[in-house]
Amino acid sequence: MSAGTLIARKSIRARWGRTLAILFAITASVSFVVGSFVLADSLRATFDNLFKDLNERVELQVRAAQAFDGNDARDPIDVAIADSIRAVDGVAIAEPILQRYAQLVDANGDAITPPGGPTLGVSWEGDDGLQGVTIREGVAPDGPDDVAIDKATADAENLAVGDTVSYLTDVGVFQGTITATVGLGSADSFGGAQLVALDLDTALVRFTTDGRVDAIDIAVADDADLATVQQAVEAVLPPQTEVVTGQEVAEENADDVNQFVDVFGTGLLVFAFITAFVSAFIINNVFQITIGQRLRELALLRAVGASGRQVRRMITFEALGLGVLATVLGIGGGLLVARLLIAAFDAAGAGFPDTTTVLATRTIVVAALVGIGITMASVIVPSRRASKIPPVAAMRPELGFAAMRARRLVAGTVVAVVGVALFLVGLFLRPGGTTGLIGFAGIGAVLLFLGVASLSSTIATPVTRVIGWPVEKLFKVPGALARQNVARSPRRTSSSASALMIGVALVSSTAVFASSLRSSLVDTLESAISADYIITDAGFQGLSPVVSETLAAVPELEAVTPIRGISGQVDGETKNFGAVDPVAFEKLVDPDLIDGTIADLGLDELLLHRDPASDLDVVVGDALDVTFQNGVEQTLTIAGIYGDATFGNWLIGLDTLAGVSTAPARDFFVIAQLADDVDPAVGDAAVEAAMEPFPQANVQTNAEFLDAQEAQINQLLLIITLLLAFAILIAVLGISITLALGVFERTREIGLLRAVGMNRRQTRRSVRWEAVIVSVFGAVVGIVVGTFLGVILSLAVPDDVISKLAFNPGIIVIILIGAVIAGLLAALYPSYKASNMNVLDAIATE
Amino acid sequence: MSSVPVPPPSAADSSGARRAAAGAVDARKTYGIGDAQVHALDGVTVSFEVGRFSAIMGPSGSGKSTLLHCLAGLDTLTSGATFIGDTYLASLDDKALTELRRTKVGFIFQAFNLIPTLTADENIRLPMMLGGESGDAAWIDQVVATVGLADRLHHRPSELSGGQQQRVAVARALASRPQIIFADEPTGNLDSVTGTEILTFMRNAVSEFDQTIVMVTHDPVAAAYADRVVFVGDGKITGELNDPTVDTIIDRLRNSG
Repeated sequence: MSAGTLIARKSIRARWGRTLAILFAITASVSFVVGSFVLADSLRATFDNLFKDLNERVELQVRAAQAFDGNDARDPIDVAIADSIRAVDGVAIAEPILQRYAQLVDANGDAITPPGGPTLGVSWEGDDGLQGVTIREGVAPDGPDDVAIDKATADAENLAVGDTVSYLTDVGVFQGTITATVGLGSADSFGGAQLVALDLDTALVRFTTDGRVDAIDIAVADDADLATVQQAVEAVLPPQTEVVTGQEVAEENADDVNQFVDVFGTGLLVFAFITAFVSAFIINNVFQITIGQRLRELALLRAVGASGRQVRRMITFEALGLGVLATVLGIGGGLLVARLLIAAFDAAGAGFPDTTTVLATRTIVVAALVGIGITMASVIVPSRRASKIPPVAAMRPELGFAAMRARRLVAGTVVAVVGVALFLVGLFLRPGGTTGLIGFAGIGAVLLFLGVASLSSTIATPVTRVIGWPVEKLFKVPGALARQNVARSPRRTSSSASALMIGVALVSSTAVFASSLRSSLVDTLESAISADYIITDAGFQGLSPVVSETLAAVPELEAVTPIRGISGQVDGETKNFGAVDPVAFEKLVDPDLIDGTIADLGLDELLLHRDPASDLDVVVGDALDVTFQNGVEQTLTIAGIYGDATFGNWLIGLDTLAGVSTAPARDFFVIAQLADDVDPAVGDAAVEAAMEPFPQANVQTNAEFLDAQEAQINQLLLIITLLLAFAILIAVLGISITLALGVFERTREIGLLRAVGMNRRQTRRSVRWEAVIVSVFGAVVGIVVGTFLGVILSLAVPDDVISKLAFNPGIIVIILIGAVIAGLLAALYPSYKASNMNVLDAIATE
Repeated sequence: MSSVPVPPPSAADSSGARRAAAGAVDARKTYGIGDAQVHALDGVTVSFEVGRFSAIMGPSGSGKSTLLHCLAGLDTLTSGATFIGDTYLASLDDKALTELRRTKVGFIFQAFNLIPTLTADENIRLPMMLGGESGDAAWIDQVVATVGLADRLHHRPSELSGGQQQRVAVARALASRPQIIFADEPTGNLDSVTGTEILTFMRNAVSEFDQTIVMVTHDPVAAAYADRVVFVGDGKITGELNDPTVDTIIDRLRNSG
């Protein structure tokens, strides 16, 4: 074995405390990365399987064609098409399928809402049909008085086959006898959805579809050729319909869901990489310090004939060993994390079918890149510095420290400035679209953090003097010692604080962003929207148009409009069109009309925001050709141009929407205004009464809506903080290990202090407050950097979303209190260590 | 290199005396600038012969340790030259200097001689291992036997007494059969009995194995083990004694005192 690997190996074993800390940091980061990948991959595989299972028996499907892949559901098709399909040679089964809103109602007449999913009403032909629904108990519904429900809901609500149950659709409340409980493959639930299944004829009536269904599933005869049958079916189809294979349908369905999985997985991954970045800081710092402590050892190696390169390689080997070990541990940890999360989702009612855990090769490669990569990156500078230690330092260590010094001010400033520049370029110029934005802004932020971390050693002494002032006043000698020890090695103070700085910066930038978002929202609601009520949907499916129709009939309300949507293409680019009642809309909303009219928006007319208007170079009176998702083409004349994009850039009337789309209308939300002379209490009661039959309609007053939005923003802040928990934990661990190493270095000094009369408690106190000063320093720098980033982020967002900056002093106070607690936690072990030294041994230490 | 004076060091044996194993020519080492200047070495010219045990003596701050560090290639001069064998050290780059220390020079320091994480055996073999060699096994066994460490070879430094640690250091210095061994107060941290043991080993290494040792000390008892004592004061050579005894050394110190 070479001397390098021998010494590296022995060193890892001999310094187990430090080794454990580094291992923990790397393992946690790798686990996070692996966990994110495994979770997303596993969910993806699960959904792929789910939709494959669901569509297993569907060989062909007939459905409405569409012009492009937008946000809208496909138009429904005439159920009668099924008859002509059945007549085609080779078709064994043609089953119309239908999925709408339905919700179970309990004995008290209150709607039963599942914890996490939508409430679905479907048509179901039983096991003879082609849908992947499987009977758990009973027989398929057959007739207007029968209903089947999913097993998970049945269990949760204590319902069984034979019970009578009420359910709600867009039309009204109905009663039925439960003839069956059903599941989906091995799962009792349908991804957390509540299911109400009726036979087709009943469904067609109760779901008010005008004799139309979503699609028609087809199974071909055993002896028939799929492609031949597909062609034959195509021949009998009316225009604007298409026939595709079941496999395509399964893939499309899975893709739709997996888009969300991708976003979710990428989000997790971002935080995993933040954790890795923070870990790199800690590992770097720990290596840096231990190299200082091993100065004489390394100098001795140099004296007896080790070359600088050998010393460097030795340190690198040490890091490599740790990186490899931690990567292996991290892969195991990541699998565990992913399984636990899936179990947690399941417990929360997501109702996943049996989930396979997918560990892709890509995951292992990235895990190794992260685990080994951050370790090696962290050790570049320390190992280079170690190789510069002169041999004479074996006898005169003071010469060694001089050789290890580096210039940080200039490099730090340059890196930070370049970082800010990249960040700005990314956010404002956005070269290369979203990828460019994330790439530039991400790298910019990383550089900014690196630069600030290196700069902060220059400000560490004065700033920590200020932070330490109250500590000294409060705790006298131990406080003064804490304050001086922090100031004694500003570089170490700043680098152990830097890890915390990054975490705090991310939290506080989010805080600035969130409060700006909130106050802009308040502004919009106060100035642009004069709605008294905002009715949102509690079930993720959109509100039935009956809700707005019912509200429009309430005499106390002066103006009511739903907000619907449809996708359409203009010049080949997909746009989201909002559809409103123009008369009511004008009363409810002030969209900052620049030219034309709102209230007189007529059929096949359009209200356009000034940005797309200037992009397209059009004015009021011009016409635009629009192709909607369902293939309908319509020329829209511009009736007005406005400046406030709260409700989107493209607005049409409800009549125009109805003219181009036959898809079942669902409203994003409904806004309503009381008549001038109505007392708000009377109005509240009237609206409440009107909404009684619509449990999915969530009625909020203006103020309540704002509160709900604020709660959501706070929740976002909390989730981001939780996702940063790993990084913050590692940062605290970093402060702890730095402090422990510092205590170890000062053994002799502490022994001396104890010898001249400092008691254990005072010793503990001085170490403890040293930790607090360091962590508060990290938090203060983090708040400054984070606020700066938050301001830039908020400015980068269009004015329609964030129109003004706002700061939340409460969060800053919470962060500072958190930093004090973090410091106290970090000091637990080092302060114990310091106070329990044997005084004589300590003094004898060289 | 133009400032390096002639004659080349190997010419020193033209007089019939022993060849020089190491030496310095007009060596100067200055710390600080202006009024704060300190001349640690102020024009030292000296050489140490092959196969002899030489001691460098002087009070604290006399420059004796600086002289040793510069002779050994651990530190650099402000001006002048030092050499080991045929080689002027100033002509070597870091790589060559490292090679020289590994193959031609042995070190014994006052303290912190050993890598704490390695066993005694590994510490002894360290210079060879660093060069990717296994060394002369029979010689190493002999060295280990002589210093009496055979049963402690697999202990780590923290499990050895101070005297045992110094014996390991001596064994390491001898193991690669260097041209010259530099010892910096090797007994400074030891009690007198253990110190005597170490000095006896060093004496024997020179007498029996024909090694060359240069030792810095301020202890007349230690210096009396040497064949020759060179006295240093204020960065200059102030005199020398051949075949010294404790008494002659103390006399000399008192007179120069």
